[in-house]
Amino acid sequence: METVSSLLDEEWYNRYKNISSLNIRSSIYDVTNQCNLRCKGCFFFSSDEHKAADEEKDIKKWEDFIDKEKERGVNLAILIGGEPTLHLDRVEAFYKRLPTYCATNGLIKVPRDRFPDMMVGISLWGDEEDEKLLRGKDAFAVSSKHYEGDDYTYYLYTLTPNQIGKTERIIKKIQNAGLKVHLQLLSNDEGVDGFSWTEQQLNDIRSEMDSLLDSYPDTVISSKYYHEIITTGKMLGRTFGWQECPSVTEPLDTRNPRPKRLIRFIRWASDLKTMHRCCTSATRDCSTCKDGAAHMSWVMVNKRSHIKTTKDLQNWIEVYEMFAKLYKFIPW
Amino acid sequence: MAVNIEDVDLKNITLKVAEVVISELKLEDITPDTFDPELDLIDELGIDSMDLTTVALVLQDEYDIVIDEDDYPTLKNIRLIAEYIMKELKDK
Repeated sequence: METVSSLLDEEWYNRYKNISSLNIRSSIYDVTNQCNLRCKGCFFFSSDEHKAADEEKDIKKWEDFIDKEKERGVNLAILIGGEPTLHLDRVEAFYKRLPTYCATNGLIKVPRDRFPDMMVGISLWGDEEDEKLLRGKDAFAVSSKHYEGDDYTYYLYTLTPNQIGKTERIIKKIQNAGLKVHLQLLSNDEGVDGFSWTEQQLNDIRSEMDSLLDSYPDTVISSKYYHEIITTGKMLGRTFGWQECPSVTEPLDTRNPRPKRLIRFIRWASDLKTMHRCCTSATRDCSTCKDGAAHMSWVMVNKRSHIKTTKDLQNWIEVYEMFAKLYKFIPW
Repeated sequence: MAVNIEDVDLKNITLKVAEVVISELKLEDITPDTFDPELDLIDELGIDSMDLTTVALVLQDEYDIVIDEDDYPTLKNIRLIAEYIMKELKDK
């Protein structure tokens, strides 16, 4: 029987101990149904989730709700939308109570005097051309000025097939802005022409992601095992899909047998009552879902399966470290 | 020297807990006799709360006791689980 101690040398064991007690319990919150962009491929609007519930507007109800979430054991609030920065009072209600991560398009700057150490993830969909095509404007030009050199901000760069061979230029721009970047893949929910992945393109982008990590280790927050998992949809011989996904809202999870999953995870709509099926769109085909957080969580909840060989366990540690860095549970 | 009956019971319970952990979690290359009762199940074997729930359900049936979910974080090795069961049996 393999144990963690039997598989790791001292350096790796210390890295393991640094993360093994974190016990992260996250949930996701739609802060608002509104957005100041309308991006093609945004699951929130393409699947009509912005119509799923009427927004709660009473800030006291938000505060009471967040207090209850804290009592429920949540220790990481992931704020999405819509665009959360359209309602900074709601963001602040989370920030004052819980470790908070705010996903944003970066067009409105989170005021750092009010949110000095809140983690901010700025969505980025490619170069200027792709940003204009998919989002209607070059959001990077604005967001990179707002957040230049910010220690608590990184770009969440959604790679598309159109970006193959063009990513390094973007990474350099991010590096020059003094920021970090995490990589994920587009799930082409709206079927935009030329933006669905072929197997060859997935192989190509995986090589490119690996190369970026090698060349820009201080800028790219990622791991090669994560690249493998997200581009192949395979982990330890298993295939990602509905029966494996860890990011299903727990009270709605009727799967039998129940797979390893995020404990107490719920994705809440902005009425603070409605629950969404999972961390992304309920209309998405799970077999082609490329959601980055779901795939890294898939690795993280399957720790025991990785205690088989030294390499497997090191892979698990690197993915967990990546997640912990992205939410500042450990330093960059 | 007289054998302390509680020690014998604790040993039997410890072996039973090891048997259940091995069987329910499909652990390989280990037997109840060779299972280190002090081995940290969470840190060293990667056992999580879902695994503990599975083990606890079997042990609850085996000993007709209730293992409170809030106590899971304290049940870090099979010695501690066995001692927990002993206490529950005495308190019945």
